Amino acid sequence: MSIFLFLFLHNAIAYSSHSSSADTTMHTNNWAVLVCTSRFWFNYRHMANTLSLYRTVKRLGIPDERIILMLADDMACNARNKYPAQVFNNENHRLNLYGDNVEVDYRGYEVTVENFLRVLTGRHETAVPRSKRLLSDEGSHILLYMTGHGGDEFLKFQDSEELQSHDLADAVKQMKEKRRFKELLIMVDTCQAATLFNQLHSPGVLAIGSSMKGENSYSHHLDSDVGVSVVDRFTFYTLAFFERLNMYDNASLSSLFTSYDPNTLMSTAYYRTDLYRRHLDEVPVTNFFGSVMETIHTDSAYRAVPRKMSKRAGINMAVEKSVQHDDRRTLIDSNVQDPTSHMKTKDQNCPFTRTMNTFFDKVERIEHPDSLPKHRWFEWSSPMAIVVGSKSRVQTPAPTFITVHGDPGFSSMVGTVRVPCLVSVGRLGLAGIDVRESIGF
Amino acid sequence: MPKTETETPKMKPRPIVRLGIFLISHSLLVSVVCCTAGVLALLLLPLLAKSTYISENALMPGSASSMISNRDISEANRLASDLSGLNFEPQDAAALESRGILTKYMSDLGAEVSYHKFHHKPNQFHPLHFFSSPDSTSSVKNFSCSAHGVNTVGIIRAPRGDGKEAIVLVTPYKFGKSGAAETLSLSIAYTVFSLLSRVTWLAKDIIWFVADSQYGEYAPVEAWLRDYHTPVFTGLGTLNADTCVKIDDLYVFEQKSIAQRKISDGFRRAGTMAAALILKVADRNELLEDTLNIYAEASNGQMPNLDLINIVNYLAVHRQGLRVKVEKVLTLLDSRWLEILGEMFELLGKVARSLNPGWKFGISTADYIEGSATLASSLYYQALGIPTGPHGAFRDFQVDAITLEISPKVFPHNKARHNEFLLRGGRLVEGVIRSINNLLEKFHQSFFLYMLTSPSKFVSVGVYMIAFALLVAPLPLVAASLYADANQLDLGVKNTKSTPTATASDELDITFRSWKWLSAAKEVFLIHVWGAAVSLLPYFICQIPNCSPTSSSVIWVFLSMLSLLILYLIVGSPSTHVSISQPEEKGEWAILKSATISAVFIGLLVMSVVNFAAAEIGALLLVPMCLMAQPLKLDMKAGKLRSFLRIICNVVLGFVAFPPAAFFVVKTIFEGFDSINMGDFWNWMESLWAWNSATYIYIGMVHLPCWVLCLHILLHSC
Repeated sequence: MSIFLFLFLHNAIAYSSHSSSADTTMHTNNWAVLVCTSRFWFNYRHMANTLSLYRTVKRLGIPDERIILMLADDMACNARNKYPAQVFNNENHRLNLYGDNVEVDYRGYEVTVENFLRVLTGRHETAVPRSKRLLSDEGSHILLYMTGHGGDEFLKFQDSEELQSHDLADAVKQMKEKRRFKELLIMVDTCQAATLFNQLHSPGVLAIGSSMKGENSYSHHLDSDVGVSVVDRFTFYTLAFFERLNMYDNASLSSLFTSYDPNTLMSTAYYRTDLYRRHLDEVPVTNFFGSVMETIHTDSAYRAVPRKMSKRAGINMAVEKSVQHDDRRTLIDSNVQDPTSHMKTKDQNCPFTRTMNTFFDKVERIEHPDSLPKHRWFEWSSPMAIVVGSKSRVQTPAPTFITVHGDPGFSSMVGTVRVPCLVSVGRLGLAGIDVRESIGF
Repeated sequence: MPKTETETPKMKPRPIVRLGIFLISHSLLVSVVCCTAGVLALLLLPLLAKSTYISENALMPGSASSMISNRDISEANRLASDLSGLNFEPQDAAALESRGILTKYMSDLGAEVSYHKFHHKPNQFHPLHFFSSPDSTSSVKNFSCSAHGVNTVGIIRAPRGDGKEAIVLVTPYKFGKSGAAETLSLSIAYTVFSLLSRVTWLAKDIIWFVADSQYGEYAPVEAWLRDYHTPVFTGLGTLNADTCVKIDDLYVFEQKSIAQRKISDGFRRAGTMAAALILKVADRNELLEDTLNIYAEASNGQMPNLDLINIVNYLAVHRQGLRVKVEKVLTLLDSRWLEILGEMFELLGKVARSLNPGWKFGISTADYIEGSATLASSLYYQALGIPTGPHGAFRDFQVDAITLEISPKVFPHNKARHNEFLLRGGRLVEGVIRSINNLLEKFHQSFFLYMLTSPSKFVSVGVYMIAFALLVAPLPLVAASLYADANQLDLGVKNTKSTPTATASDELDITFRSWKWLSAAKEVFLIHVWGAAVSLLPYFICQIPNCSPTSSSVIWVFLSMLSLLILYLIVGSPSTHVSISQPEEKGEWAILKSATISAVFIGLLVMSVVNFAAAEIGALLLVPMCLMAQPLKLDMKAGKLRSFLRIICNVVLGFVAFPPAAFFVVKTIFEGFDSINMGDFWNWMESLWAWNSATYIYIGMVHLPCWVLCLHILLHSC
């Protein structure tokens, strides 16, 4: 038990020292949900918008596995496209957005309000492959970008249905309750985009829209060669902002938000920050648009290793079983069986956070100030980094990183012992063991 | 019992009933107000016209830059010079040769080329073919081998399209005997076709239809469209081969001369037609600048979707700098009364603006006159129901089509000027085609029921309906009021106490009177039957060989009057009997008038659904006459000034509403007295039935009988 206490202590202190948020969960990963909701050739620019943003977030480090790309129509293969299989967002045609590395998760008529809400809330049918799911956790930062035709508190999907602001708010609230995100940035480029955020009231949500109520969002320019407008103003200036950045830049969100000029935009960009606790000056844009994670460096990483590892092997098995159903509730239930179960009894609602807070309170009195972990930025190049250990070699000084693209059942062999790989760091944290500190550099 | 008596007056009828009764009892005032308002509303329409706008988002006209290159133009010039070099040969051979050249050029571009043979049959009066869809059965039979034409069809398949839709480009061309203008239109079409064969952005197939216009421009298009939409599984070609060996020989020869090319004998089709453009170059020169004339009216006043006119107008004005014109009644332009009216409206607009700057309904006098002249022409051509060009054939198949007639400022002899003209025309057509190519479905977004007051202004159905509704609104009211008066019915407005208790004889009288309308209805019905018979007469008159239009119309009028006389002799006696037995002040003729007005009302309403413009003009003539009609004898007896005025009005209206009289009056006003000829009316009517216009039926079966009935009322013996 004391080991557990110690582990939480580290985690909690590390987090609280860096964040003003009451949410004590660590930032674990970045996801992006990019949605183009409109069909038809004359809405070319919406697809170009989405693909441009897709390219940007990929360049800034969010891997394809963590991007859900929804495109309601296929402009590249439209017969009217002068450049078959290519999509451009600028009339100079320098950059083909529809190159080889585009993975569209939902395309054509799959892009519906229902599917969109399913992606957000994670309520999928069992047959839906993992690549089409938003497998975020309570430490995830999610970028939700939407573009299409909208109006007062709605966004049109496919020319046939609409997503209303309360639908979106409800989905976000469900996500919050299901602990599917830590921070969420909703970016919307449509007419009267600001109205879409009216009903939001879940904490940790940041929203930015291209125009206020009663304003239109305009396209930026017309490509007279292709014969359509190729990009919207708001997205164009967003992209222009990001083109100057690379993933190591620490440009803040406020610098992005203030970069929108109502004159060039021909509409007033609106951002809603009242649900978001951190100061935008302190939050780098890569918090959402990239995949830069805060990691903790400790000098002595493996003090508690022997017992922890032995425990974790058991938990891993449980996790692996449960993950096959992809149900986070089961995951938590399986945790209840292990020694942390007594925490559950303390608080029904959010046992994990609450107990952590109590631990943190206790620990603060004991802890020496010099044992505080040091921090530094670390870029996660792989979607999942997993520490693999084994029963026999628990004292391994340098843990191995393994990149897993896909199936949770995937196992790898390190040394002589077969160890199942885990899906994400966040899951481990949830299981009551924080692996992060065992990552050495 | 006393209880019920006290209850009955308390039982108030529903408000709508009371309103109806109120209107009926004041029908005179209501009809005067409504008719005046109806005419005024018609005159106000140019003020109420809205600017056109592109309603369909998908169209995006002018968003793509033109891609026509000099290569396309020089190719087109080469084609034109090749074709015009042949004009001096014997005509038949020249026609063959020029068709061969055109085919060669088309197939060199990679288009699928096919020929379409059609047999020209002059339009005839088919009483049973009104409103029937064009069918192929009638066309296959009874053709003569001599009157045939061969259309050339080139199809470019969209490289990545689904092949389900097509855009049609039509150029009428007289093979072998074409003028410079026709060749120019062919060159423009070829320029566009040549470009379209190279582009990658086509989503719809392109059909270039070169219509053999030696029998007019409409006939080949119509024949081809009919064959396009009626698949003949036995093969039309084999059927023709049996009867017209000579033609087929020629045809085979023609095919052999270009044997190596892929020219199919079979009928080639592309997908559903999204839209069609008929391209013509006018032979006349414009004074100021290159001008584009748009013709849009199809049969029975149908119009293509307004968006099609909008994109053409937008591209012509804003991209190619052409002056766009639609037809207008030129004589109205310098009519004095219209100018006065325009000045009045302008003044009114100024006053309104000074009161409230937000009110902007005034337009300048010049705009008003221009708008009225265009609107009058729009109304007339829609009312006529005759298509104003080959585009009418497309409308019959629910394809939106317009005719673009480009008239150059100076006829381009100068090479550079010539090329510039080709470039302009080509770019216009290319832009329109590219815009239609962007379309996802048929044109549906914008208006189908509208009238133009200028190429960029229109009056929609919701606005112009008001004028018609106001005109016909008094009809049922007056009919009801006349009926009530004639039967001395108490509508509950007058004092109820004055009516004494009914005796047995009175009851009988009331029952008799309440059925009196039947005889009036019978008379109205019989006159309408007579009207139907009169409208069938031309079918028989047509059979008379060597009959000039003048004598035909004389025969027609004579036969009509004869049949009316016979009708009166056979069935006319009972009605006269009734009138003698009921020497009331306002009895029999009022009932007859009531029945007539009801018939007019029904007839006009039905017509307004079929062809609104015809109903509107008809209402302008019929409604005042019907409402005014009163036996002349009564007015003579009264001898007051009011009665005298009424007599004059009745006589004038009775004269004007007579269809031939109306025709000649209008003709005199617009063309002067010299051009009047009895045969003109016959020709005019002939054109109506030849084009299956519903207006013909309206004139024969609604207008004429109602006129006769009104005349009957005027001459009633009381």
